[in-house]
Amino acid sequence: MVERTPLWAVFVLPALLVGAALVTAGFDAVLAAGARRGRPGSLRETAVRAVEPGRQVLRHLVQQPRRTRASDLPLARIGAGLLPVAAVLAAVVLPLGFRSVSDLPEGIVWFNAMEALAWAAVWLAGWGPNSTLSLIGGYRFLAQGLAYELPHMLAITTAALGAESLRVGEVVDAQAGLWFVVWMPVAFVIYLLSAMAMAFWGPFDQPAGRDVAGGAGAELSGADRVLFLGGRWLLLVVAAAFSVPLFLGGGHGPLLPGWAWTVLKTAAVLAFLVGVRRAIPTVRMERYLELAWVVLTPLAIVQALVVAVVVLNR
Amino acid sequence: MRAAVSRPGVLLAVYPGATRQRLAVEAELARRGWPCVSGPAEADLLVIAGDHEGEGRGEGGESDWVAGLWQGIPAPKVRVWVTDPERAADALDSGLADLVRGEHEDDHAHEAHHEHHEHQQDGGTAPHSDHGGHDMHGGHHGHAGHAMGLVEGLPMADRADDRDGLRLDVLHVPLGPVLADWPAGLILHLTLQGDIVQEVTVEPVATPPSPSPPFWDEPWLRAASGEHISRGDAARRLCAAHLDSLGRFFAVAGWDDMAARTRHVRDRALAGATAAELTSLVRPLIRRAERSRTLRWLTTGLGTLPAEQARQRGVTGPALVADGDAYSRMLVWLEAVGRSAATCDVTEALDTAEVVGPRGRLDTPVPPSRALLDSLPRLLEGTEFACARIIVASLDPDLDELTHVPAPGTVHSHG
Amino acid sequence: MDVAVFWVLAVLAVAGAVMVFRFDSMARATFSLLASLLCVGGLVVLLGLDYLGIVIVLMMTIEMAIMAVFMVMYMMNPAGLMPMTMIHNKKGAAVVCGLVFALLAAGILLAPWPARRGKAPADPTMELGMSLMGPQMLTMMTLGMALFATIVATVVLATRRGRYDRFGDDLRARRADDPVRGGVGR
Repeated sequence: MVERTPLWAVFVLPALLVGAALVTAGFDAVLAAGARRGRPGSLRETAVRAVEPGRQVLRHLVQQPRRTRASDLPLARIGAGLLPVAAVLAAVVLPLGFRSVSDLPEGIVWFNAMEALAWAAVWLAGWGPNSTLSLIGGYRFLAQGLAYELPHMLAITTAALGAESLRVGEVVDAQAGLWFVVWMPVAFVIYLLSAMAMAFWGPFDQPAGRDVAGGAGAELSGADRVLFLGGRWLLLVVAAAFSVPLFLGGGHGPLLPGWAWTVLKTAAVLAFLVGVRRAIPTVRMERYLELAWVVLTPLAIVQALVVAVVVLNR
Repeated sequence: MRAAVSRPGVLLAVYPGATRQRLAVEAELARRGWPCVSGPAEADLLVIAGDHEGEGRGEGGESDWVAGLWQGIPAPKVRVWVTDPERAADALDSGLADLVRGEHEDDHAHEAHHEHHEHQQDGGTAPHSDHGGHDMHGGHHGHAGHAMGLVEGLPMADRADDRDGLRLDVLHVPLGPVLADWPAGLILHLTLQGDIVQEVTVEPVATPPSPSPPFWDEPWLRAASGEHISRGDAARRLCAAHLDSLGRFFAVAGWDDMAARTRHVRDRALAGATAAELTSLVRPLIRRAERSRTLRWLTTGLGTLPAEQARQRGVTGPALVADGDAYSRMLVWLEAVGRSAATCDVTEALDTAEVVGPRGRLDTPVPPSRALLDSLPRLLEGTEFACARIIVASLDPDLDELTHVPAPGTVHSHG
Repeated sequence: MDVAVFWVLAVLAVAGAVMVFRFDSMARATFSLLASLLCVGGLVVLLGLDYLGIVIVLMMTIEMAIMAVFMVMYMMNPAGLMPMTMIHNKKGAAVVCGLVFALLAAGILLAPWPARRGKAPADPTMELGMSLMGPQMLTMMTLGMALFATIVATVVLATRRGRYDRFGDDLRARRADDPVRGGVGR
């Protein structure tokens, strides 16, 4: 059972998430620099690359905020600010080891609801600045949301079904013996796909793609930009970290304490996702939507059915 | 402050005809690891590649679209010009020094901005936001007539039928000339419904003719005019040209990793790598691109250009050989890259009987990129925005060819 | 504490609802409606019905985001350049609103509310599921299928292109003839 958590955890959580996001972004930056220069680079160069995301944050913070003509500034600001807030709120139910800030009885639905706030956030950030490319970026995220959400909901429902509870803590407890990934592999794969899709990152970065000059974030500068792009990394970290209690046994594991296992597993998932980003081009929604609805959704339903039958016969 | 701007975000504005400068700047940026950004909102340093004579020049000596771009960049900001490819590094150094010293021109820019703003509102003829979208800005005001009306000098959306027979809002949007991974100088006027491209017209290039040959066609044109050019040099240029196109194609398809690797190899090819080194660099790239099922799944069926239609429009290069969609055009490029990389050390003279550059025959009355541009509208209409970008990248017209006016009797006498 | 939260959420919900009609841009109106509904979701959580409250937040967010698609269809100018009023048929609407409000208020005041019997369940989510899916399983399943069938039927009726347009008159075409190619080929 999940233990109670002291109040200070509320303040530690965002700091931890930001740290994890910076490390992930740094790892990504090292790989990216290696690709452009044709070789991995020396140890010192690698260190310089690894702090690049931090430097970018500084660079944007000294920038003047700018506004575009006839823009709806409040909406764009709300959009940019809502993204990190949604990510942190979603992380409230994330257990580190066996402890989360608040183990809500409907934690899984809570996570899903907070992640849906990102839909509104990206759309607002895209619509607000009155620029066609950022509008297209915001618009794309809605198409992406419609494509990934259906199989995604079925996948997280499958994990809840396996534990017979919507409480994240109980989902972790149910995996003391066998991890869910072993008998719900389809749901796990679908979850990983939607984790990247909800953070509109990697192969699913169309809403903020380079072909639309940054898409929904195209016109944001200064602190707004830091919030928006930082929120995106936070969302990725949170989405990846949530796969650990759902499918990878949470804090369960031999020898090491629970929190260490959570950190290790989360790092492994993030490293895998960063690798996927380098291996796969951007998936466009007009192709993925059909795949998601015609192939992934039925697969997810079959997976849920299998789990339901197993649970009923237990 | 110093740490914050030590690696400034660089926005590249390239004039048609400045390919050599662009390549020099890109290689230098890669060496320094400075981020090459895709829009003015995230830029600190505006690098203007090329020397632009004529056309409406602002007070800084640049044309309208660059002035608009400059206004869109938030302070602190600095702009530098690169007219000599050899001095790209110096220009970047001076730009960085200005940024660190804080000698940015924000006050000046503010004034300029206000002036401009008022002017536009008074005139009521400037439908495109200077500030609102670098991408949309070309200093071309021809579309006010289509729009329903103007609000704050911006055009309102229009109505038109969509492909499902509904009558929905449309926007008229000029695309280019400053857009990451976009042919320098190309401006397309799009009619957008959501993110679907309903109509396309290609803006004629307004730049004055330039006497110097286009960078990518240089070896063949010089050989045709009687100079001694080795087959190896031509192969090297061909290899680099296709790698440049492939880099854009991968970048637009969202495969950053491959785009970065391709550009690294391109820089090596132009820096004079030997055939052996180049072949060993090129082979894993080709293998990876050909084996990627995702890339194939994503790019088949985009912008199908059958050979017959291509021939009618006068297309002669890889797009004709490919006889198909964006994916098949990429395969043709890959194949040509592999072939030419192996022969880039050959010293015998280039055969001038057939003058075929990277984009097609150079001995025809119209340059090959003209034909590519002519086939663009039909391929783009009805596609989604992302697909349209990929189709443009898979044809990759080179507008340098359009600005070049060959001296009479050089090329045609041979063709 | 609960009382304070209640009043804050209630005031925000009503204020958001009022602003729906005060704003002159479709985007702002939509999202102030969303803000109002999120506050209502919070109120439901406050009542101890966590599951229902969170589902309200989830559904309403996605719903309002999908509204944005229609916003692009009918008003493509980003940021809503043209101010447009969100009120139509002012007088009629005011009368209808007043009547409905009076009716509901009268209902609240006049209905004989039953006194509480028994205790609140330990797990309201479980009870909710049981009461929906226990004795009423058949009704819910039928209802669900009927709703789903309605959605599918509406889409089928609305689309102009059928399978004969896509696969040819003998349905033999290898690949569907669509304006934009899908990812699976069906």
